[in-house]
Amino acid sequence: MTAVTPTPTAQYLDLFARRGERSGEAAPVRLRRRQAIERFEAAGFPGRGDEEWRQTNIAPLLRSAVTEASREEVGARQARRFLYQGCDRLVFVNGRFAVELSSIPKEIAVSSLADLEATGGAADAVAEHLGATVDGRASCSADAVVHPFAALNTGLFEDGAAIVIPAGAAVERPLQVLWLSAPAAGAAADSLEVSFPRLLVVAGENSQASIIETFVAVNGAAGGYFVCPAAEFVCRAGSVLHHTRLQADASDAFHLGFQHTELERSAVFDSSSLTFGGGLVRNDAVALLDGEGAHCTLDGLYVVAGSQFVDNHMRVEHRQPHTTSHQLYKGVLDDRARSVFNGRIYVHKAAQKTDAKQTNRNLLLSRSALANSNPQLEIFADDVRCTHGSTIGRLDEDALFYLRARGLPREQAYGMLVYAFARELVEKTSFEPLRQDLEGRLRASLNGGPGGGEAA
Amino acid sequence: MLRVSGLHARVEEQEILRGVNLEVRAGEVHAVMGPNGSGKSTLAQVLAGREDYEVTAGSIELDGEDLQEMAPEERAHAGLFLAFQYPVEIPGVGNSYFLKAAVNATRKARGEQELDAMDFLQLLRQRAKLVDVDEALLRRPVNEGFSGGEKKRNEILQMAVLEPRLAVLDETDSGLDIDALKTVAAGVNALRNGDRAFVVITHYQRLLNYIVPDHVHVLQGGRIVRSGGSELAHELEEKGYAGLNGDSAGA
Ligand SMILES: Nc1ncnc2c1ncn2[C@@H]1O[C@H](COP(=O)(O)OP(=O)(O)OP(=O)(O)O)[C@@H](O)[C@H]1O
Ligand SMILES: [Mg+2]
Repeated sequence: MTAVTPTPTAQYLDLFARRGERSGEAAPVRLRRRQAIERFEAAGFPGRGDEEWRQTNIAPLLRSAVTEASREEVGARQARRFLYQGCDRLVFVNGRFAVELSSIPKEIAVSSLADLEATGGAADAVAEHLGATVDGRASCSADAVVHPFAALNTGLFEDGAAIVIPAGAAVERPLQVLWLSAPAAGAAADSLEVSFPRLLVVAGENSQASIIETFVAVNGAAGGYFVCPAAEFVCRAGSVLHHTRLQADASDAFHLGFQHTELERSAVFDSSSLTFGGGLVRNDAVALLDGEGAHCTLDGLYVVAGSQFVDNHMRVEHRQPHTTSHQLYKGVLDDRARSVFNGRIYVHKAAQKTDAKQTNRNLLLSRSALANSNPQLEIFADDVRCTHGSTIGRLDEDALFYLRARGLPREQAYGMLVYAFARELVEKTSFEPLRQDLEGRLRASLNGGPGGGEAA
Repeated sequence: MLRVSGLHARVEEQEILRGVNLEVRAGEVHAVMGPNGSGKSTLAQVLAGREDYEVTAGSIELDGEDLQEMAPEERAHAGLFLAFQYPVEIPGVGNSYFLKAAVNATRKARGEQELDAMDFLQLLRQRAKLVDVDEALLRRPVNEGFSGGEKKRNEILQMAVLEPRLAVLDETDSGLDIDALKTVAAGVNALRNGDRAFVVITHYQRLLNYIVPDHVHVLQGGRIVRSGGSELAHELEEKGYAGLNGDSAGA
């Protein structure tokens, strides 16, 4: 008898089947789960022939057997390393809420998705929004494709956070959402533990808040896991939401996630995505500017080396007049690392006076590193200002010589120039503990200087 | 202090320096003049260790040590300083941050105690005053958006802070108004002492009124074709380089 290897799709469907129905779940969410799984089943995983996935080879992910993430106990001390002073926090271990490690601010309503009754506060928002935007709303009508990993998350998430910032609230302390991966020691080498972190944030009218997502693994975890997160942001009229997404997973982990933002009139969403970790990384971010005067900033930095691959796929839709969007993505690539930046700006016919700006700059530190940059502007309004620019370059040898001629050792001069290239993205935040952490991570990832040990 | 003998250097198959001999003793100021493209900057860059130029023959010694064995930063640690003809703009790196790193890298390499923030700031302020550099420039990124004159002053500031034993100034006077020229000269003269030496590359006799050289050399076609005292600079000013042709070529 020969063992039958399940197809990749079948494996994930099997996870869904085994989990069964959840008693406490709100009917609309249950329905959206089922629909999402059905869509995933119909579409399957994307192949290289799929335009949106042409440059992202997910074959290594599909080759691996997957198991549900284990129930690891993580000591408070392990989690504390990743928590910032001066903010409130929600800690999730392998996608499950760790209430004893968390502190919930009073002025915000927060619910754990696995147990809406117990923590309360955001249950209505969950029923209304969760999963409704990510894969329910057809946008860019021309290409309303199912995002396969968003659908997977909706179908399979076990827990997550729903956060509602009440109208008019100005929340001073940032809220950190820590997504900690703790794969079981000695897990089978050829199998991946998979978790589906899920986040819903509703920023009430004229509210102000700041959310920090941190994706990391406990000490010494090296791959053997797959994080498949999805986040939805609903920004009500006049709200201002700051968002930072730090991804520092193990360097051979899989991280494929989806982020979706909807902005109403005069809302502001200012988001930064910083990628240091992960072996195969794909970040999809969609922002819909759905009310006059709305503004979004989607910034990002990726600092990768070895054989890391990172693909940032952005789509910003201007759907109403007088909306603005800014994107600044910078990449630093060493060794054989590869990156893709795919930035699509779609301006609907109604969206006159759109102001959209997109910049992608890449710094290659080795001959074998490779960066791809694909801006895509689709403009159907006639009175707009859209600019885009992308560069792929190497370190300035004249500057390097200048610094060395002043006495700086090669390594130090090198680090200084690379840091200078990337600093505006790590120094953007005004929240000091986060700024220090990002700065430290950037400096640490530049240590080892040119080539990180491999020929530059 | 500096001994350059029979130096040949080339870039991309093109020979630029064709047997340069130059000897500079402690306490001296040498001026190097010569037409455009004669190899003055090439000589300066080769001294500082620029790898784009290939030294095909000859030697360079600083205090008896073979410079060619040393990386650019090691030459700096040994006391060599080059004021660039075209100072490089370095966006994202603060001017005073960079200078502090340079000072401390040098001190560290020499086994000296590094300066803390306070001590460095004191030194920097004092030197900035000496060469009349606006403190606002110290907070900006290195040379970024500086005017031509500000860049040159910034080079002199770096020199004043790093206190090299041998400073090579490559056309530091170009693009300076007369007041700036005087401050630059004052900066050089303040550093001048029996242990230090300067090689001043210039096109204009004007600078040499303020920094009076002990020796003047004419570099032409990759060779020093004539050497003399400060009166040579005056002669050049009158007659131009053409007046020298055939004079004592190959000296
Ligand atoms: N990196 C290089 N690649 C090619 N040619 C070079 C390079 N550097 C210098 N050269 C050439 O070598 C010659 C000497 O240049 P150099 O800059 O040393 O002249 P210079 O005497 O400093 O001139 P100037 O007075 O105009 O500053 C010139 O013909 C120049 O074009
Ligand atoms: Mg020159």
